[in-house]
Amino acid sequence: MSSTEQPTHTANHAGTATGDGRIVIEHLTKVFGTQRAVDDLSFTVEPGSVTGFLGPNGAGKTTTLRMLLGLVAPTSGIATVNGVRYAQLRRPIQTVGAALEASSFHPAHTGLQHLRIYCAAAGLPSSRASEVLDLVGLSNAGKKKTKGYSMGMRQRLGLAATLLGDPKVLILDEPANGLDPEGIRWLRGFFRHLASEGRTVLVSSHQLAEVQAVADRAVILNQGRLVRAGTIEELSAGTSTAVVRGPDLRPLQQALASAGMQGTTETDGSLRVRADELTQIGHLAFANNVELHELSLEEFDLEQLFFTLTEGAHRGASFESPETAQYGAIQTQGGPR
Amino acid sequence: MIGLLKSEVLKIRSTQVWIWMLALAVALSTLFTIGASVDAVSDYRHGRDVDYYSLFTASTQVFFALMVLGVLGLTTEFRHKTITPTLLATPNRWQLLGGKAAAYGIFSIIYSIVCLVASFATAIIWLTATNVPLHFGDGVPGGVVKVFVTQVLFGIFGLGLGALIRNQAAAMVFSIVYLAVLNFLLAGIPWVRKFWMFEPGGAAQGFVSHGTITGLSDDTHLLNPTQSLGVLIFWCVLLLVLGGWLSLRRDIS
Repeated sequence: MSSTEQPTHTANHAGTATGDGRIVIEHLTKVFGTQRAVDDLSFTVEPGSVTGFLGPNGAGKTTTLRMLLGLVAPTSGIATVNGVRYAQLRRPIQTVGAALEASSFHPAHTGLQHLRIYCAAAGLPSSRASEVLDLVGLSNAGKKKTKGYSMGMRQRLGLAATLLGDPKVLILDEPANGLDPEGIRWLRGFFRHLASEGRTVLVSSHQLAEVQAVADRAVILNQGRLVRAGTIEELSAGTSTAVVRGPDLRPLQQALASAGMQGTTETDGSLRVRADELTQIGHLAFANNVELHELSLEEFDLEQLFFTLTEGAHRGASFESPETAQYGAIQTQGGPR
Repeated sequence: MIGLLKSEVLKIRSTQVWIWMLALAVALSTLFTIGASVDAVSDYRHGRDVDYYSLFTASTQVFFALMVLGVLGLTTEFRHKTITPTLLATPNRWQLLGGKAAAYGIFSIIYSIVCLVASFATAIIWLTATNVPLHFGDGVPGGVVKVFVTQVLFGIFGLGLGALIRNQAAAMVFSIVYLAVLNFLLAGIPWVRKFWMFEPGGAAQGFVSHGTITGLSDDTHLLNPTQSLGVLIFWCVLLLVLGGWLSLRRDIS
């Protein structure tokens, strides 16, 4: 993921990776009956990075994570951590912390009991259970049975379990699901805390703003296939949009098209023009005697990119010039197949 | 492996199921022994030989409680989805099954010892109170060991059954139907009953029984104790291996 990747990117060789926390997904495919849940997926999560794993429901995120963790057998391909399959890790809990669902608890167990069971399995002292409960702010609820936990508490308990072995790699599937605003705020701080410790974090989430705030990289999936992967900087390159509002923007539309600038007309009459700065648009408006009520630059928004790539939705009617049509098509269709 | 065993023992101890199952097993063990004690007293008073072997092995039937406990071993993990964190901690599924078999073996041993102690205490108190002499000959010590082995094996048998039928409700219904209905049907249906000796219930009878079994037709035979033990062990291993092969290999989604 050293550069913005398209689905036909180069695969990495899992066998060469060392114990540094690198996650490698190579040509991973999972077929359920006639449905290809994951289709020839390849990407790498670099050590020490926080990577957002994004995609709409049914995109294949959870299946990919379960294949990575050895819970689901791939139809083909391989997924490794530190160069080996999860099942071959000598000390799995000390290497990878994973939280896949917020309901994997026995209702009759207390939070502390739940964690102590996995401490025992991993050969960790049972005191570690109390420590991680403290880390996620659940120390007061440790002796309460999990059947009495709220969704937010369950999410925190799941996250506490990931930290038991103090692993370098964390894999979190939708950790913000069901969280209230206070919980989401806590989760943002939790992500930052993990990132500051230099851990490798792969997090699938619908909370795109939260991911954007802490992630170095993003992998975007749609219908089981990779549509975009790269650093946030790479993904944001050339994606800034100028928003133009005014009573009559038609002369400006023509001028922009003649200047080779791509844009769309919104339903409210405003223009959205792909541009990194506003000078040229302002100059064209002035030169064409167009009255403007707003001329502003909208910075990169992961959410917008996500919806563009995964839904291919067009915003209003395009007025792009023939020269820019191809560029626009790539942006809205999510890359070549 | 020690860590895994500790983890599995902790799982069993962390809920109240084990204590209730133990209470049930002890209660049934006591009840069966009271029934056998009443027969023993009656035999003694009518001048017939007292069947001390049957009296002191009366708690054999408690094996079904251990089987049910074993069934819960894996089906509970699937029911509450704790199989996911369990497999994250122990990704090797055969190792997990081995750890569970060891843990449930340990609990079965404890259950069996407690049930045998309860059974012995009941019989001794009952016979003493009714002035029937106590006698521990006639193969009683060997019979007690056989009861113990049968009960422990059925605990592991239940675990294998639970690995094979992941759905807890289905596994429990099957266990109860098998023990309460199928086992007796197989022993009673003509032609089929010739093979009852190879079925777990028949093998348990063949292993523990001492002399003629009443209530069986003439063409229903039992294997000798050693062969019966072999059949019982075969069923335990078969269910564990089949369960591991078919069920645990499935995707956990």
